Amino acid sequence: MSMSNEAQVLAPPPPTASLAVAPFARKLSLDKLMISLAFVALIIIFSLTAKNFFTVRNVLTLALQTSTITIMGIGVTFTIITGGIDLSIGSVVALSGTVAVMAANVGLPIWLSMTIGLASGVLCGFLNGIIITGMKLPPFIATLGMMMVARGVVLTITNAMSKPAPDAFGHLGNDTLFRYSRQFPGIAYPVFIMILVALAFGFFLRKTRMGRYTYAVGSNEEASRLSGIKVKRVKIVAYMICGFCAALTGIILASRMVTSQPNGGVSYELNAIASSVIGGTSLMGGIGTVGGAVIGSFIIGILAVGLTMQGASYFVQQIVIGVVVIVSVAFDQFRYQKK
Amino acid sequence: MPETLLQVTEVSKGFPGVLALDKVSFELRKGEVHALVGENGAGKSTLMKILSGVYQPDAGTLTYKGKEVRFQDSREASAAGIGIIYQELNLIPHLTVAQNIFIGREPRTWLGYIDDPKMNADACAILGRLNLSIDPATRLNELSISKQQMVEIAKALSHDSEVLIMDEPTSALTESEIDELFKVIHTLRNRGVGIIYISHRLDELKHIVDRITIFRDGRTIATREYAAITMDEIIQKMVGRKLENMFPPRTNLPTGEKLLEVKHLVRTGILKDISFDVFRGEILGIAGLMGAGRSELARAIFGADPITSGDILMDGRKLDIHSPVDAIRHGIAYLSENRKEDGLAIKMTLDQNVTMANMDQVSKRFTIISRTQELQATQTFVDELEIHTSSLTQVVNNLSGGNQQKVVIAKWLFRDSRILIFDEPTRGIDVGAKFAIYALMERLSRQGVGVVMISSELPEILGMTDRVLVLHEGRLTATLRTRDTSQEEILNYAAGLNPEAVQAGLAAAQNR
Repeated sequence: MSMSNEAQVLAPPPPTASLAVAPFARKLSLDKLMISLAFVALIIIFSLTAKNFFTVRNVLTLALQTSTITIMGIGVTFTIITGGIDLSIGSVVALSGTVAVMAANVGLPIWLSMTIGLASGVLCGFLNGIIITGMKLPPFIATLGMMMVARGVVLTITNAMSKPAPDAFGHLGNDTLFRYSRQFPGIAYPVFIMILVALAFGFFLRKTRMGRYTYAVGSNEEASRLSGIKVKRVKIVAYMICGFCAALTGIILASRMVTSQPNGGVSYELNAIASSVIGGTSLMGGIGTVGGAVIGSFIIGILAVGLTMQGASYFVQQIVIGVVVIVSVAFDQFRYQKK
Repeated sequence: MPETLLQVTEVSKGFPGVLALDKVSFELRKGEVHALVGENGAGKSTLMKILSGVYQPDAGTLTYKGKEVRFQDSREASAAGIGIIYQELNLIPHLTVAQNIFIGREPRTWLGYIDDPKMNADACAILGRLNLSIDPATRLNELSISKQQMVEIAKALSHDSEVLIMDEPTSALTESEIDELFKVIHTLRNRGVGIIYISHRLDELKHIVDRITIFRDGRTIATREYAAITMDEIIQKMVGRKLENMFPPRTNLPTGEKLLEVKHLVRTGILKDISFDVFRGEILGIAGLMGAGRSELARAIFGADPITSGDILMDGRKLDIHSPVDAIRHGIAYLSENRKEDGLAIKMTLDQNVTMANMDQVSKRFTIISRTQELQATQTFVDELEIHTSSLTQVVNNLSGGNQQKVVIAKWLFRDSRILIFDEPTRGIDVGAKFAIYALMERLSRQGVGVVMISSELPEILGMTDRVLVLHEGRLTATLRTRDTSQEEILNYAAGLNPEAVQAGLAAAQNR
């Protein structure tokens, strides 16, 4: 480039480059709008076509059934934002639920048993994080290993047998609040837990330093490191959060069944990932929200309930949900390629 | 008179805002090695991309073997016999030598599967023509870099190339590997191949070059028989211009107060015993060729790469730096060369990038981020650095290069850094933004910040710095006072030549 030419054309930089960008930002929020619209459209369609869809009882059931996918989806969203993935969720669900039931069965108080169950899930997440950051394994491989190990452990310690839990263990999953009448059977505890988890982790991700770092690491790991962010710690925390959410799900499920389920939770991670991805989380990292994961899991939940009420078989539901996953991600890809 | 193989006549090529080639003419003869030299941005790469079909010229003609040609893409050029070997090798490490040479056009048997014996035999024949003994069934990643480069040459030759373009072929090679490469180049020349040889290492040209063409500012300055030109003349023609008034005036003099001292810094194989000081209020330049270890030096000081030995002192106190976290705590900032790769979180917003290295400032209680403080801080820097953006929450990927660079600078200013190491701060940004960044560096030095600028643009080094360090292959070859030096002197040290050696070399060349 010509230096002498440059000297002659020394002028204030043209401001055009920075002004031409606003439409993209608008499009981003448009996407969030689209997903919410799709959500509302689903509710309307099912309300019109299935007679009993939009009833209080049905909505409450839907919320209860979707609560566990939502919690797992929120957890896995953290790992996906860092640019990773967690395939061990299903196994951790089984492990932590079983550990909690076993603890209760040896006579520990219920709250302590459940805490121990949660701790087992957080430990799995911690190990995932250590393996990924310390041994520098791809998250896919590390958590695939953990999926097998955790499953193997739970099958070994239980000999693959379900065991009933003390009755008190079932309160968390089966009791409700605000029960007034037969018309309003109350809101189940898991729904409150889901709301709490969503609010807490949503706040954490949006408002705290560690949440900001989670995005930064997923957006550009090297830039984050060079900005003094402790990248390893951020990743480990993300996997621990995911482990915590999986464990919470495991305990809720064990409590609803009032039994340990060493064979349960198989492939739950895939539903969790699907809900996160439908909600706009990018597998490339750096993009995703708790709110998106919540909407994503409710889209899956509504499809499942709505299609069932339409008389569609479980197999057909699988097809529809699969198509939704593909279409929503294709939409994302299209958006980023256009840029 | 030797036969002309390739003739470039008055070729021009423009990009938005820049005329990269301005009526360039160039001739390559059969069986010659023709060196192409010039500073960064002189237009060498653009011409090479036109010859190899990557770009199409806006005006002018290419005549190849007596016929006017116009290549639509690189496939056409390579099919016509013009091969190019890029600085970075374009080979697939996990395939064998033969598979790499014939990739995309593997010989088939009549049944349609790959004829491995024939492929290996053909590869053997091509390697034989280069006098190389490489087993074609070896996996590429088992070979040394120089051998891999030979494979790349063999691949180009397998297209029956008559013109071979080599872009900085020695940048990754050791001395003995370079000798090996030169032998192959001699073999090729004797076979009548025309070779265009691009290199920043002027010292190595004498071993192989027949003619030399010098580029500057997108124009051909001169073509000479190599034997008829001196090193001094080459460098003068490359530089050939006076510094224009494109830098802000320096308003302060550096103090004698040592801010940062680097003592005997070693990173095995990369940095060799480097010692220097940075004074409060000075702008220190670091010059050197590609691969000289400039960025590596900055990264070592910043704790981004491990060091083998050596000390870093600030205000006379030894610092214990094991990671960027430590360096940042001591007030050292590094603005990396590749903004998008390791400087910015490009999917995130302007304000999020500005506060990224100093979240403590905006999240005092319970690590919860205060949006008010965050936006206020960002607004300050947007105003102060004149960052052109539609909003504070603009995604930085949508900002122009100059504005992105300002965002990176804002990030480190927000951190109150005491030493700012700028790595190629003006690469890829427009002229106006360049001036703004120079002015900012000047202001920082006035405020007592130690500013270090790594740059490949010598005018920028000469126009902005107080002193300049010159690196050559990981070694500090000179520490010069900018006022008393010249581009020629810096280039000599950067090429690993000291001035006396150049004189001796010139004398030898003249006696040739």
